[in-house]
Amino acid sequence: MTLPITVPDIGDVKDAAIIEILVKPGDDVAIDDILIVLETDKATLEVPAPSAGRVHSISVAIGDKVGFGTAILILEESTGAASAPIVAASSSQAAPPPPPAPAAIEPITVPAPPPPMAQTPATGLQPHASPSLRRFARELGVDLTRITGTGPKGRISREDVQGFIKQAIDRPAASAGEGLSLLPWPQVDFAKFGPIERQPLSRIKKISGANLARNAIVIPHVTNFDEADVTALDAFRVEVNKTQGAKVTMLAFIIKAAVAALKAHPNFNASLDGDDLILKRYFHIGFAADTPNGLVVPVIRDADSKGILDIAAETAALSALARDGKLKPADMQGGCFTVSSLGGIGGTGFTPIINAPEVAILGAARAQMKPVWDGSAFQPRLIMPVSLSWDHRVIDGAAAAGFLVTLCTLLADFRRVSL
Amino acid sequence: MKTELLVIGGGPGGYTAAFRAADLGRKVVLVDKRERLGGVCLNVGCIPSKALLHAARVIEEAREMSAHGLAFAEVKPDLDKLRDWKQATIDRLTMGLASLARQRGVTVVSGTAQFTGAHEIVVAGTDGERRIAFDQAIIAAGSEPMALPFIPTDPRIIDSTGALELARIPERLLILGGGIIGLEMATVYLALGARVTVVEAMDQLIPGADRDLVAPLHKHLRKRCEAILVGAKVTAVEPREEGLDIRIEGAEGARTERFDMLLVAVGRRPNGARLGAAAAGVKVDASGFIPVDGQMRTNIAHIFAIGDVVGQPMLAHKATHEAKVAAEVASGDEHARFDARVIPSVAYTDPEIAWVGLTEGRAKAEGIAIGKGVFPWAASGRALSIGRDEGMTKLLFDPNTGRLLGAGIVGPNAGELIAEAALAIEMGADATDLALTIHPHPTLSETVAMAAEAFTGTLTDLLVPKRA
Repeated sequence: MTLPITVPDIGDVKDAAIIEILVKPGDDVAIDDILIVLETDKATLEVPAPSAGRVHSISVAIGDKVGFGTAILILEESTGAASAPIVAASSSQAAPPPPPAPAAIEPITVPAPPPPMAQTPATGLQPHASPSLRRFARELGVDLTRITGTGPKGRISREDVQGFIKQAIDRPAASAGEGLSLLPWPQVDFAKFGPIERQPLSRIKKISGANLARNAIVIPHVTNFDEADVTALDAFRVEVNKTQGAKVTMLAFIIKAAVAALKAHPNFNASLDGDDLILKRYFHIGFAADTPNGLVVPVIRDADSKGILDIAAETAALSALARDGKLKPADMQGGCFTVSSLGGIGGTGFTPIINAPEVAILGAARAQMKPVWDGSAFQPRLIMPVSLSWDHRVIDGAAAAGFLVTLCTLLADFRRVSL
Repeated sequence: MKTELLVIGGGPGGYTAAFRAADLGRKVVLVDKRERLGGVCLNVGCIPSKALLHAARVIEEAREMSAHGLAFAEVKPDLDKLRDWKQATIDRLTMGLASLARQRGVTVVSGTAQFTGAHEIVVAGTDGERRIAFDQAIIAAGSEPMALPFIPTDPRIIDSTGALELARIPERLLILGGGIIGLEMATVYLALGARVTVVEAMDQLIPGADRDLVAPLHKHLRKRCEAILVGAKVTAVEPREEGLDIRIEGAEGARTERFDMLLVAVGRRPNGARLGAAAAGVKVDASGFIPVDGQMRTNIAHIFAIGDVVGQPMLAHKATHEAKVAAEVASGDEHARFDARVIPSVAYTDPEIAWVGLTEGRAKAEGIAIGKGVFPWAASGRALSIGRDEGMTKLLFDPNTGRLLGAGIVGPNAGELIAEAALAIEMGADATDLALTIHPHPTLSETVAMAAEAFTGTLTDLLVPKRA
């Protein structure tokens, strides 16, 4: 991944002179390493590297006058800094022989001024390797400065390079799996920039946060969006509340519709277990409940065998328990599928994170009256945006789109739920 | 006309790139402004100057031996025949190139190339204009002698190309520029009987080389030239019917003298700005160089540049090396890269000076620690037997590892001898490697091994003071 580095905002200065360039193409830099030094009439300013990586090309020279936004260089960001890949990404400059079409021509990199080529050898620190071996190392993307040669006087042999590669390949295998090598978390002294207050995270936030982070990283999420016409359904809901003296929310209908959609699309009522998919023959639907201390997901058991009024009463009761912090672990276990409804609050759509080990989650945003073309005129219809995040290891895009179509059809004509 | 790869320039860089790419299966068109391939190097540079320098050497060696029992009649140069011989050498090489191009299926187009877009040039030739569309291009447009604005146009004022034409031998020749080209021409014209004065602006001849290497050449030339003026410059040239009145300003003040001919050899200027490169989006810097990366790519990914037009040193052997990198990268070899650690330089003067890698001057300027091994040719049997004892072989080593970092040689055939040092540097050889490699005796090449032994302390041909 390449990152163009430009001159940062240095105040109202348009002609700061570059007085030092501390890197050259091919150099590896760590975050905050100084790249160039600028001089204005007031002060000298250092421009640090915003992230670790390798300098790909430099587009300025000493003496150039620059200002805010001037391109300085292109950095190839490294994916992992602490344990930077030993095998350097040499393919970055790869160019397949068929060149880009004329229309696509753009200056891709501005290389550094021609280096004084005759002035290469400075010290004995250069790798002790012959030209043919240096080429061999380039082909494999090996940085020879990282190899200790085993030949006489430290000469690097072909076998040394091969051994180095073998070792590099073996190493990740040993610690297979969750070896995500990420950058260290940025350490910022916020108090330097203004008054702050420190507040410990709630227990729920700590637990749900860890789960959400794992789910977000491990599951290949994709989110599909659709819109459900809930004009008739909402009118029905209002009528039910009036005549039955109940308090039925849209959530209850969505849960019921979700059950019907899960029945039509059984792969969504599933969990991944190694190389097997566990298909569930029961329908326990979780719903996201907001509490002062954070988010919890109570579960409506056997939602397929419950009526709307029962589901509405149960979501209300579980939400009340959740707000009081009285939910029992059992109340939050066994879910097959989760619904997260923000309809009561607002928003036009969002991408919910799957509640593992489930394989999909439905998000519902606020329904709004919208003009809908019926073929001859615009009709005011109540439209509810819905989103479906799904695990791409289990589900594919066509199935997800089909699930949402089913769901939206059900919500548009709720009679179909009973079919 | 349409091609996969277009090469602009038929010099050593251009034809090497074209031939290498053709060998890799590419369809190649090579455009050059000259009718004949070979560029400056073959037509008006390295090759004709070497032919004339050979003639000069024969003359000088004959003269030198007159004191040692071989008296020849004074040489009577026949300029017409000499020129023919020089031209025959050029012809043979350029014809060879034309045939190599034919055999490889490289299409050669003569005319001046101008970019009209990122994928098209227009070539203006004697038979009109022709458009050539290309997928990729390699710019190898070379350089030309630098002219000085205050120097007028006059048939008696020439550059290196004019000097190689050998139109006549002037009585008094002023050479402006004490670099490699100026001094090679001084060597030729001195041998052919001209009285030569050299003016150099820097404080030594061949400023890129170490002073101790230049000293024997300077001494040799001082005996034979009318004057060698360093730290001096020409400030005015007034052509008159009887000669050129040239004002020279130096440490000893200013004076005006009359010469029959003035050779301006103050350097070369890249031809980067002459191609309409902007139409292709190719960046050209203020001096006319085209910046490139380690794979010889310009800022435009499908256009490469090589040779004199990308930077110093402007040497054919650098261009040919870069040419192969560019041709290989353009043909899909992403691993090709300009990775040579050193580029040797040679002045084919009498005596020759050659150097490669680190120089003592640069080590001093940059504070690089070095160990030095020197072998004076006065102790070489072969040097004495060819009647030349002023030479010297100097090797610079890393004091910790003993690895060879640089070498400088002055003396006859220094240019041939420097290649061993270049190989040793590329291979990472150290002083012991050089010392333990058996060199044939008696040769000048032995001096390389002996200089290494001077460093390792095993030299027996000289008594080297022990190092502390």
